[in-house]
Amino acid sequence: MLEALDAPYLQRALVAGLLLSVPLGLLSCWIVLRELAFFAHAVGVATFPGVVVGLALPALGPFAGALLAALGFSAAISASEADHRLRGGAATGLALAVALAAGAVLLTALGAGAAPVDRLLFGSLLAVSSADVLLCLVGAAVSVGVVALLLPRLAATTFDRAWATPAGAGERVTASAILGLVSLVVVCALPAVGSLLVSALLVAPAASARLITERLGPMLAWATGLCAFETVVGLLLARALDLPPGAAIAAVAGLGFGLLAAARAAANRRMRVAPT
Amino acid sequence: MSADGSPTVATSGLSVSFGSRQALDDVSFELWSGTFTGVLGPNGAGKTTLLGALLGTITHRGSARLVGRPAYVSQAGAVDASFPIDALGVVLMGRYPRLGWRRRPGADDRARAHEILEQVGLAAEARTSFGALSGGQRQRALVGRALAQEGDVLLLDEPLTGVDAPSAEVLLDVFEAERRSGRTVVMTTHDLAQAARVCDRLLLLNRSLVADGSTDEVFRPEVLRRAYGGELLLVDGQTALLDDAHHHHHDR
Repeated sequence: MLEALDAPYLQRALVAGLLLSVPLGLLSCWIVLRELAFFAHAVGVATFPGVVVGLALPALGPFAGALLAALGFSAAISASEADHRLRGGAATGLALAVALAAGAVLLTALGAGAAPVDRLLFGSLLAVSSADVLLCLVGAAVSVGVVALLLPRLAATTFDRAWATPAGAGERVTASAILGLVSLVVVCALPAVGSLLVSALLVAPAASARLITERLGPMLAWATGLCAFETVVGLLLARALDLPPGAAIAAVAGLGFGLLAAARAAANRRMRVAPT
Repeated sequence: MSADGSPTVATSGLSVSFGSRQALDDVSFELWSGTFTGVLGPNGAGKTTLLGALLGTITHRGSARLVGRPAYVSQAGAVDASFPIDALGVVLMGRYPRLGWRRRPGADDRARAHEILEQVGLAAEARTSFGALSGGQRQRALVGRALAQEGDVLLLDEPLTGVDAPSAEVLLDVFEAERRSGRTVVMTTHDLAQAARVCDRLLLLNRSLVADGSTDEVFRPEVLRRAYGGELLLVDGQTALLDDAHHHHHDR
């Protein structure tokens, strides 16, 4: 398996995956803590019609098409959630279905220039170009910089918005930053992971890290480390078993969380049974 | 009083409406530093709204202003108790607004946070995660966060609701120490008897300001009845309130 590491396409995918692990791991913590997991999944799917249109219109390109779709989706969901009657994911669920339908319809209608549907949805090891790696580097640098700058405000608004707002940590700034960065990182991850399963890396690392630690700093570190590990293992598995990389990475991330949760549950049972 | 003897908290013709519902109607009052004011009133009287207007987070007509910087304790229910943070982290959070965008808390901020933990009786729980603290300990940590803000006006939204008696005594000592050090302390509460015992000034609110004066002036049956209507009972000369969120009697 290791001689396969000589293949430049796999090296590019691994470098891109490791670069993106940092923003994905950091953002996944805020997605889990702010209860945005469903939203994160929907953002990924929302890029699908954007990529299809971008592929059909060379002037736009798949990256810009996906980014516009993700940002538009985020803005639309934020606006509709202001209506209390649509809270709790109703608008997100609706938009997710519409985005998937729009992608399928557009793919059939625009056909020619577009890639095979499984590659758009589940990613491809061969799809990561040198330009994509550069975009991942830029996306990672921007995300890490913004999250580091906003860290105290993110913590304050997530913990207690009623206190944070008058204390000067505006919810609007932090919420917009998270939505914008999630869109950016999702789009960077698309070539390798695809739009349907990128959300696995936006939820699983932090959900696992939350089971490991009760502190924010270690949670951010664990989530980043787990994300890198799961991405690398997933990519190597995809290469070895000829699987779509998005599916391989999501399966590894899910398995990792499942093992951790089972270990935690077993430990808790032992603690309850043990005499105190 | 502030240095020039003017009020530190003042509203004038303050009105707030949420859609068609009038939450506050033409509320005017002035408070001075070194005072401890209780804001009383039935559920939906506009107590939290009043604090929001003073903090500038709620759109209002008329004026609501405070002199200097506010420190704030939000209602305990507004907090995400599962957030991964310990008691020390909660208190340190109060330092961030002073630090601006780029600076992070330094050794002096940490030393101050430990002092505050000592003051609110959480020195031994500094590294205990917030979710593992009892209700009273959580509230002491949140008051500690407000103390770390070192504001001039301390706004407390039902800081003693659902808090065990020992924690309440610790917190009341803290509020009294803040008042003595010249801060303006404002506390909303459901507990009439407690407010009468600890506050030197009472505002009785029921959308409009029903009464405003010293505790002796306001804590009288005929005045209280104007705010609470028939929901106020007098039992053997003690006050029992039937309007409370949990519908239990406050008759201490």
